[in-house]
Amino acid sequence: MNYAMIFNNIGKILLVEAALLVFPSIGAVIYGENTLLSFALTIAALAVTGLLCVRKKAKNKNIYAKEGYAIVALSWIFMSLFGALPFYFSGHIPSFVDAFFETVSGFTTTGSTILTEIESLPKSLLFWRSFTHWIGGMGILVFVIAVMPKTESSSMHVMRAEVPGPTVGKLVSKLRASARILYGIYCVLTLVQIVLLFAGGMPLFDSIVTSFATAGTGGFAILNNSIEGYNSLYAEMVIAVFMLIFGVNFNLYYMILIKQGKQALKSEELRWYIGIVAGSVIIIALSLINTKHNVGESFRYSFFQVASIISTTGFSTTNFDTWPVIAKLILTFLMFIGACAGSTGGGIKVSRLMILVKSALRDIRKAINPRSVETVKLDRRSVDEPVVKSTSVFFATFMLITALSIMVVAIDGRDLVTTSTAVVACMGNIGPGLGAVGPYGNFADFSTLSKIVLSFDMLAGRLELIPMLMIFSPYAWSRKYS
Amino acid sequence: MHIIIVGLGKLGITMTKQLVAEGHNITVVDLNNDTLSTIVDTYDVMGVWGNGTTCETLEAAGVSKAKLIIAATASDEVNILCCLVANRMGVENTIARVRNPDYATQTQFMRNELGLSMIVNPEFETANEISRIIRFPSAANLDSFSRGKIEIASIRIHSDNMFCDMPLYEIRKKCKAKVLVCAVQRDDEVFIPSGDFVIRCDDIISITGTRSELSTFMKQTGVFKQKIKKVMIIGGGRIGYYLAKLLSDTGRTIKLIEQNDSRCYSLTDTLPDVTVIHGDGTDQDILEEQGLEYQDALVALTGIDEENIIVSMYAESKGINKVITKVNRHSYSILNDIGLDTVVSPQIVAGNLVTRYVRALHNSAGNSQIQTLHKLVNGKVEAVEFVVPEDAGYLDIPFKDLQLLPNLLIGCIHRNGKIIFPGGNDVLKANDSIIVVTAGRILEDIHDIFV
Repeated sequence: MNYAMIFNNIGKILLVEAALLVFPSIGAVIYGENTLLSFALTIAALAVTGLLCVRKKAKNKNIYAKEGYAIVALSWIFMSLFGALPFYFSGHIPSFVDAFFETVSGFTTTGSTILTEIESLPKSLLFWRSFTHWIGGMGILVFVIAVMPKTESSSMHVMRAEVPGPTVGKLVSKLRASARILYGIYCVLTLVQIVLLFAGGMPLFDSIVTSFATAGTGGFAILNNSIEGYNSLYAEMVIAVFMLIFGVNFNLYYMILIKQGKQALKSEELRWYIGIVAGSVIIIALSLINTKHNVGESFRYSFFQVASIISTTGFSTTNFDTWPVIAKLILTFLMFIGACAGSTGGGIKVSRLMILVKSALRDIRKAINPRSVETVKLDRRSVDEPVVKSTSVFFATFMLITALSIMVVAIDGRDLVTTSTAVVACMGNIGPGLGAVGPYGNFADFSTLSKIVLSFDMLAGRLELIPMLMIFSPYAWSRKYS
Repeated sequence: MHIIIVGLGKLGITMTKQLVAEGHNITVVDLNNDTLSTIVDTYDVMGVWGNGTTCETLEAAGVSKAKLIIAATASDEVNILCCLVANRMGVENTIARVRNPDYATQTQFMRNELGLSMIVNPEFETANEISRIIRFPSAANLDSFSRGKIEIASIRIHSDNMFCDMPLYEIRKKCKAKVLVCAVQRDDEVFIPSGDFVIRCDDIISITGTRSELSTFMKQTGVFKQKIKKVMIIGGGRIGYYLAKLLSDTGRTIKLIEQNDSRCYSLTDTLPDVTVIHGDGTDQDILEEQGLEYQDALVALTGIDEENIIVSMYAESKGINKVITKVNRHSYSILNDIGLDTVVSPQIVAGNLVTRYVRALHNSAGNSQIQTLHKLVNGKVEAVEFVVPEDAGYLDIPFKDLQLLPNLLIGCIHRNGKIIFPGGNDVLKANDSIIVVTAGRILEDIHDIFV
């Protein structure tokens, strides 16, 4: 392990976070809130730690895969530890573990909250809370690659560890240019949503923070009743459509930009994504028509909720905890699936699901005719066998961690649905689950141990397991094995 | 600038490394997925899997944006075809590696009739470089400028050297020859020295001057080596063939040892003046039998680095005047430490040629004044030759009034056949050739040397 380089990079991240904290501080000044001091203290702490980390120059500037993973995992942990300070210093979240949980939930774009009363929080803190979604959505290390003058040639390892999906490619030959294109698309889409929401009559502050939460597919709302509180069909539809948009692989938007839109529409993952959304919306709407609502309302609620869950955002327009079992079950499945690879969403990812399904079908065909040579194909191209294998391992590990976490959280003695969906919602970075952690509930009543385990799950889900697991492995750190 | 590199062999990788360092947008194309993913992980480039001669693959590699394509696959014919296809698809500049000696005589034809911008033959260029070193054996390495009128030679200062622990201005007073020390390598560090720089023993210094002045300097410092008349070449591959031909044309006695029987016969046919020996050139007995100790120089050119190094060390221990080692894995810097001063590698030689071409191409002025580019000291130092344009703003201004960038030195000025080592009162005139030596900076244009 190249400790000097790891600390150097973490130092850079902390300095960037200090710079980003200036925005909520400005908010505190504008609204004349007393949170300014807590922000200033946090910025000072970040700047001092960051500078100390950056000051030590590394002799060997090479980063290899393991350093890349370690940088990403540790950066996210430190970022969340420091990001929690404004909540803690200002006294609005008196317990540090709670503040850490809330911040991890923000950065990982989960959107699970421990706050029972959101509307009473100062606006600058609400802004920071939603802003963490926006930063975490595309990834702060990708941001650093985009803005830093000349990145090391091996930053690819860092990018790979932070951008979700089974395989990560670049858009253009230079990593920095690729990162800039991604952030460019991200910013423009966010801006468009802000304008659309504002034009629909939502207050400017609400438009901005809601768009941040949508763009990162996070799901922190600033009303106690989430999006239901606005009670506007227009706002709901804008948000629903943008949630789906941010759940699509950003590479496709780049292809549209370079006028290869037709090819982008041919993407198999996009078709599966749309298919899953359409199927789920129809089934849930049908189940609702039978039991609760009229046709129009059924589709309205069903569409919003499906978009919210599959993109792993976690906004709600109704208490779906009271929906029929079939609807709740489908939503739970969607929590596992998640959005497309290369998007800001979480979960297992549609492309991994495709690889899993197709490799299962392949094995069945192979059982029927053992001599046939078959490969798993995505977009009519064979997927490399190591990728297929690592996808299966990813799925197994994902399920294993989910199961172990459920067992630890179960110590709290809550009911089965609450316990299990709380973990699933955190692993998949969704936010609300079912039962007591449903759209009308929150995570406040869990024990400290459960909150730490859930925070770990959120980070593991956002960084796609390997980085978070690796930093706990003695093989990675001990000189004996390197 | 967008560049496509087809084929990730040793040459392809070397060029990828060099051109990425120059800041270009590079797409690499190869048929081997493993190589491709390693390169994409190591360097900031985009990888495209596929056959580089097909339109589809070239399309995926962004042929419409590309300004240059470099074909460096294992096959000459594929490289030529690849360049032709890319050229028809709109790539203006094409570089092909063509190394089969059969084609060597028709490079002019291929450039003119097939429209290739440049043909790189790493083996021939390497042979050329080795023959230059053999003609001036005192230097560990030798690079020439202004069509050979000026050279940069690097020599190691041994502890018995009179210039050891002496500052440069002292050396300049005591030295009878008109030469200039333009770079000093000490362990892993490189210095562009000023007048009060002190030379220590075991430094490797690079000096510029004309051939005869350099010889005078070598004689005075005691590193002068006698003219080489008898050369033994181990390995009759492509480099061996080119080298034997080049050297025998200058009247030297060549003994070429080659292991492969039929290859020996074809070498005898094509090289009538060369003694071709059939045998394992890495075998000590055969070396003794063929009279290694009576040779003036030994050149180890087998396909295996380790064998070349072993043979060279053996020859060095036998006191052979000049030992030249070819290695492909040039990244190891220990070779200097074990006493092998003169090491050449074909990829580096070819890579430098391509880099020079690319830099000239990239220069916005379109008519870059770069004439020659050499990388010294493991690529850490660059020596670039420029021609001063006629409309430049810095003509006739004394150097003491011009502000040059730090870590940069003007090696010498070549004006109408005269060599000038510039002092504060000298000026630049139109059509001068100047040689600029710099560390850690990329010079594309002569304007780049001023602050």
